[in-house]
Amino acid sequence: MKKQVISTLLIAVSSVFLFGSCEKTPVDADGLLITQRSQCYMTFFDALGSDHRTVLVAGSTQIDTTALTVKAVARFGTNIKRIKPYSSVVTDAIVEPNMGVWTDFSTPQQYTVVSGNRKVRKTYTITLTLQQ
Amino acid sequence: MTMKANRSYLLLLAIIAVGLASCEPNEVENEGPLRNDLLKKTTSPAVIGDRIEFVYALGTLEGTLKAARAEASIPGAVGTGFSRYSWFTNRSTGQDVPVLTAGDTITNGAVSTASILDGDNNKALSLRYYYAVPEEARGKTVTFRFSGTSSTGQEVTVNSPAYRVSRMDMKRQITLKDAEKCYVSLSDMTAYTKEEVEQKGLSGKIDFVYVYRATLGTNRYAFGHALVSLANGTYLSDLNLPASWTRTPTLLDKRVDVKDAQLRGGGFDVYIDDTDLERTTFTNSADFAYNLAADQGAFVRSGDGSYVAYVFVNNVNNTAKTMTVSIKRLQVK
Repeated sequence: MKKQVISTLLIAVSSVFLFGSCEKTPVDADGLLITQRSQCYMTFFDALGSDHRTVLVAGSTQIDTTALTVKAVARFGTNIKRIKPYSSVVTDAIVEPNMGVWTDFSTPQQYTVVSGNRKVRKTYTITLTLQQ
Repeated sequence: MTMKANRSYLLLLAIIAVGLASCEPNEVENEGPLRNDLLKKTTSPAVIGDRIEFVYALGTLEGTLKAARAEASIPGAVGTGFSRYSWFTNRSTGQDVPVLTAGDTITNGAVSTASILDGDNNKALSLRYYYAVPEEARGKTVTFRFSGTSSTGQEVTVNSPAYRVSRMDMKRQITLKDAEKCYVSLSDMTAYTKEEVEQKGLSGKIDFVYVYRATLGTNRYAFGHALVSLANGTYLSDLNLPASWTRTPTLLDKRVDVKDAQLRGGGFDVYIDDTDLERTTFTNSADFAYNLAADQGAFVRSGDGSYVAYVFVNNVNNTAKTMTVSIKRLQVK
């Protein structure tokens, strides 16, 4: 009788683990985890030139999370029409459209930070100016 | 066991036997007392005018080695043939030491031969064979058949895989000097002076100009060594170029991490081949590349789109205002 009880318990525990592991974790279209976090802001911005080195003047980047703007100064001689932007955002948040592709920054560009729970969206305007 | 079962068993055995037989290597020549092997030492793309180096190893347990032979599917250019020396590594110093091994090395058309000298090294040796890539091989594949003979009359052969020869051209160590030989044409990979461009009417084929300006702009920002298209109206303004010159808008894309070993002269196993030049895109690229230093470079597309090149910077000199470049260039249309 005792053996039977132990076996039943083992099967029950195993079933919990088995079915528990099959639970669907929410992910977005890119397979990224959707979490409970609602924070939504940009923490860092960089811009690379064709040589994959930063074109920004050190200390020039200003991220305003209230006005939702990023202002940065590119070094003298930078080809501002061929820039690969990168940013860091708060945990679990994503950026739309994807950064890391060649982009023309001769006019300000807009990127939207989306929170981890995908419910909060904040659109940042990124402006690069050239050292004259 | 029934008759039917026996038949199935035999059929299974037959299939296994055929399967095993089909796994045997095609080349069985290398199992006798005379054996050979081939190693391609050169890892870089085969470029016209450059050489491919092979090591052809021969060894015999019977008699002595007499001759080695190499036949290329496309006759090589001048410089093709066996070296008279084989090499061994000195265990004390780690240095490779040459040993005179071949008496005569002759190249006649596609066939190169080496007569092995009588001596201590005629039982086992490794000869170097160099194939100078000829113009006729451009864009084609080339194969090699190596063979060796011994004093007992035996012969062994080994066939190389097919190697593709690049379509691109390469020119190394072109010295540019600010305000002198600084006008560079990709079509002939040559640097000209302003006077030469003027006299020969070459402005239409000039793809970029080398300039050195330590600083530039009203706030004197660092600019350094630069390659600038004639079409650039900002950085060449102090050259007072004739208004009649043709100014083609060449596109340049600076790189700092493409250290091509052929252009550099070794150091990194990184090579630019045809495919890199074919696939490089120049969307929104600048018409200049600045702050260039040694080991850096730029992908360049000529103004008329005929050529795509990689210009590698071998060295720069701020005092002499010079830059030495090496170029790989592919005609794309």
